[in-house]
Amino acid sequence: MARDQSRFAERGTTYWPLTGALVVLLLTACMALGPVLRNSAWWWGMAVTATVVLVSAAVFRRLRWPVSVVPVGALGVLLVFLTVFFGDGSGLLWVIPTPTTLERFGDLIQAGELSIQQQAVPAVPYPGILFLLCVGAGAIAIVLDTVAITLRAPAIAGALVLIPVAVPALITTSGTDILQLVLVAAAYLLLLRVDVRTRRAAEAANPDHGRSAARSFGPDRRGPGPVWGSLGVAAIAIVSALVLSAATPALSDTSVINSRSNGVLFGNGVSPLIDLGQDLRRPEETLALHYSSDADEHPYLKLLTLDTFSDDLEWVAGHGPINKGNGVDDIGSAPGLTSRIERTKTTTDVQIDNVISSWLPVPYPATSISGLAGNWTWDDTALTVSSEQSTTRNQRYTVKAIALKPTAAQLRDAGTDYPPDIAALSSVPAAAPPVIASTAKEVTAGTTNPYDAAVALQRYLRGNDFAYSTQAPIDQNYDGGSLGVIAKFLEVKKGYCIHFASTMAVMARTLGIPARLALGYLPGESQEAAFADRTRWDVSSHDLHTWPELYFPSVGWVPFEPTTGRGSIPDYALATGATDTSTSAPAAAEDKRPTNQGLLDAQHNAAGSSQAQGALGTWLQTAAIVLGIVVLLLAPLLVRRGIRFVRRRRLARAGPPSLAWREFVDTTLDYGIGISDTETPRHLADRAFSRPEDSAVRESLERLLVAVEYERYARPDAHPDVRTARVADLDAVLRALRIRASWPVRLRAALLPRSLWPAAFGPAPGTPAVSA
Amino acid sequence: MNSYATHIPTEASVLAPDDTEPMPLDEVNRHSRAVMANVEAVIAGKHSAVRTALTVLLAEGHLLIEDVPGVGKTMLAKAMAKSVDCSVSRIQFTPDLLPSDVTGVSMFNQAERRFEFKPGAVFANIVIGDEINRASPKTQSALLECMEERQVTVDGTTYPLGSPFTVVATQNPIEMEGTYALPEAQRDRFMARISMGYPDTENEVSMLTTRDLVSPLEQITGVVDLSQLRAMMAAARAVFAAPGVKEYAVALVRATREDRDLRLGGSPRATLQLVRAAKAHAALHGRDFVLPDDIDDLAVSVLGHRLVPTSRALGHHHQDSAALIEEIVTRILSQTPVPLGNQKKA
Repeated sequence: MARDQSRFAERGTTYWPLTGALVVLLLTACMALGPVLRNSAWWWGMAVTATVVLVSAAVFRRLRWPVSVVPVGALGVLLVFLTVFFGDGSGLLWVIPTPTTLERFGDLIQAGELSIQQQAVPAVPYPGILFLLCVGAGAIAIVLDTVAITLRAPAIAGALVLIPVAVPALITTSGTDILQLVLVAAAYLLLLRVDVRTRRAAEAANPDHGRSAARSFGPDRRGPGPVWGSLGVAAIAIVSALVLSAATPALSDTSVINSRSNGVLFGNGVSPLIDLGQDLRRPEETLALHYSSDADEHPYLKLLTLDTFSDDLEWVAGHGPINKGNGVDDIGSAPGLTSRIERTKTTTDVQIDNVISSWLPVPYPATSISGLAGNWTWDDTALTVSSEQSTTRNQRYTVKAIALKPTAAQLRDAGTDYPPDIAALSSVPAAAPPVIASTAKEVTAGTTNPYDAAVALQRYLRGNDFAYSTQAPIDQNYDGGSLGVIAKFLEVKKGYCIHFASTMAVMARTLGIPARLALGYLPGESQEAAFADRTRWDVSSHDLHTWPELYFPSVGWVPFEPTTGRGSIPDYALATGATDTSTSAPAAAEDKRPTNQGLLDAQHNAAGSSQAQGALGTWLQTAAIVLGIVVLLLAPLLVRRGIRFVRRRRLARAGPPSLAWREFVDTTLDYGIGISDTETPRHLADRAFSRPEDSAVRESLERLLVAVEYERYARPDAHPDVRTARVADLDAVLRALRIRASWPVRLRAALLPRSLWPAAFGPAPGTPAVSA
Repeated sequence: MNSYATHIPTEASVLAPDDTEPMPLDEVNRHSRAVMANVEAVIAGKHSAVRTALTVLLAEGHLLIEDVPGVGKTMLAKAMAKSVDCSVSRIQFTPDLLPSDVTGVSMFNQAERRFEFKPGAVFANIVIGDEINRASPKTQSALLECMEERQVTVDGTTYPLGSPFTVVATQNPIEMEGTYALPEAQRDRFMARISMGYPDTENEVSMLTTRDLVSPLEQITGVVDLSQLRAMMAAARAVFAAPGVKEYAVALVRATREDRDLRLGGSPRATLQLVRAAKAHAALHGRDFVLPDDIDDLAVSVLGHRLVPTSRALGHHHQDSAALIEEIVTRILSQTPVPLGNQKKA
């Protein structure tokens, strides 16, 4: 039962090579976070933290600290490190954490969490995120150090470094890079290799201790490398990572993680349009929110407005700084709207289910919102509602808004007398492809006013030439709403709402009509159930949508629906001589919705999501098959190792020597030596180790043999002292068996252990005749 | 078919109770090694034969040494006898040897006017019977009765034999001329049969040197005295044989009875002696319990001379009976499962 001392780190030994290998492993594993974060500063932060922690642990060992105190010391170093770099000078002498420092840490953690929730990948590593990353790296480093060096079980390190490796797999659809996995696996094998060398050096220095081998599922101690044991673990690690990345779409709908995968929308610094495309392509539809409204026509719920072009010709929200005075209990009037326009007041109750965003989905134009938690403000020009601190998570609120019903005549007569700030929104960057302007001219030839031109553009885009597809832009690499992709879209004529909306808005601008993009949700589908005493409508993640808004003097911003097959066309936009089939019925759009929308949805599904789902499904299927095969192939190995593990553990707890013997017998069988039930234990031992060079192991074997002979054949009560088998002896014998086997034999023994086959399958190969 | 089905050991074959204190087993082991070293100084390179001989001695059995002339049968017997400091007698069996020469005779003492018993050569602790198969069957059986009953009855008076009492008989292979083969029933009374075999070249050469000047037997002195031998025997008797091991011995002997190449299998006495020999073998190794290995090591020696192969098997193999028997016993060993051995599922 004596726990083998040498299984643990020796006090006063530094194990520098192991520390080095751990640093390499951890830094490699951190690189896996690359796809999730922008730039590389974060990696340096993690790298420095991890290195400092690991090196300090090694130094503490050098100073002969007791092994159990080393992790505590490393934790202290981590704390000091964090205080210096994140404490903002709040630490005593910059170094010792004070209550203020801890408070600061708390703030950083909160900020980091919020930042993670709100940002889409790749996220910008704000200080909060950076802090969390450094804490994580430091914590993993401490645990790694403890497990791999203090407990001498570096094989388990593989499981720990899976944490950073698995993150991209969980968050992004593309998963962890295979090359990255290979790198981590290589670093892991390096660690095992270094561990073997360290052990051998220790054995050479102290042969008595050396014999005590290892953790049961640790790597081999000797022989030409830790290949088979560790390869198994590495294979499992890689397979798990692959599986995780393959399983990501499934995970995203289970609310296991409150992250981007679960409806975080439109973070900072990323193109919200790309983001939207990703949401639409996600195969599983999740319930984003549900609401009920007393409006005649169920409203589009707008999240944010994009009205400016960035330097790389992307649509971005161009509105100014947040005006803290803009409380949502009284929202200002819509720009440009005059009293001549017919309007009705509407009330909409919204319950957010699965959207995490700092933008609130509201009908446009809203007049007041009640029931919100947190500080929310409205934007002066776009009337969008956002918050710096709060998110939409689980919000339940009531929006009062107005539904505008401008007539075609009003719009046609609106003229072109734009206010200066609005007129600025009719400019197009000079870098815009000329084909946009020329196409717009072509399409609107013969129209005399902005309204007719807009309707012509809408009709053109909804025409039969264009098809809805979420996948085509990806396949042909023109995803997103930037100016550059419009030319490609006009050529391919396949895309989804972003392309249609962006194209219409840009074309309108080339014609001098102020235009912008709105981003939000389609009205969704009505349900049997009720919500807030009205019919409940469910809005799913696939209802995420973009549409253009054009400005008409004295009316304001007027939405259009150019996306073929999606949404409903506003009355005013049907206008003159609509020829396209889906808009030919002049009836009110909402009346058609139940049938028409069903059709459109079907089309949407067929064209877009099912394509995505198809590709992903195939991928998943392949992954599942490959995984199945791999698991099947590895199953005997895992089972055999499990059996050995259990036997060794029972043996270590003073289990009967028979266990050791059975393990020995099974292992000889695995290595093709063959066993026979007509053979005595001693015969088998003699046969297995008959060569002169086996004399070294005979000592261990003899002890095992005597123990098992006493157990089986002596008087039950006699000689309790020799009736125990030492795990160390068993390990030495098994190791000797392994060393002498050629590598193909080892491979077979590892992957297809003969001892697992039932005896009924015939005698073992190489079963000898007993020589008496 | 089996003539031994009703053969029950006579009560005399049960050893007489002995109140000798058993020797500690490590001492048994030490003394045994001393004896073996002593004997092997004379007969080099015959470790296994010497060990079996000592095993039989410790098990209080009788030993049959069978081999061609001149390989050291008598030398082994003498060396064994000399290594133990006890009474030794030697009978050279010849065709004209009389039973009374072996057992002893009652003679009329003229002076005291009464019959007086003159003990024969059998009254010794170790009796060396040289070339036992050259004597007439009548004389042979006189000896063999003594061996079984450990007593001599002459003219109605019973004289117990010495304790320990071990006969070490040598014989030439039965095919030799001028021999009377021991009947099966009498062979059965020997615990074991060993054959010496020719020495290997190296040992034969060194023998030439060592025997040039002086007979090596002269240099041998006793390393164990009688009381020590008795204590060693008591220790051997006290060795533990697990039920599984006993079953193993029974299974082996039963297998000889059912083997199709054997006309005659092992008797229950064979089983008894096999286990008894195994115990001595274990004690000799300083172990207080019998291993299946002990049984395996002794099976050929203990069973071999009791088995009779079928003439068909003999004809097939074109070899002498002893070699065939050894082959058959080895095969049976390789076919009989060992109790608690290396079964896949224990």
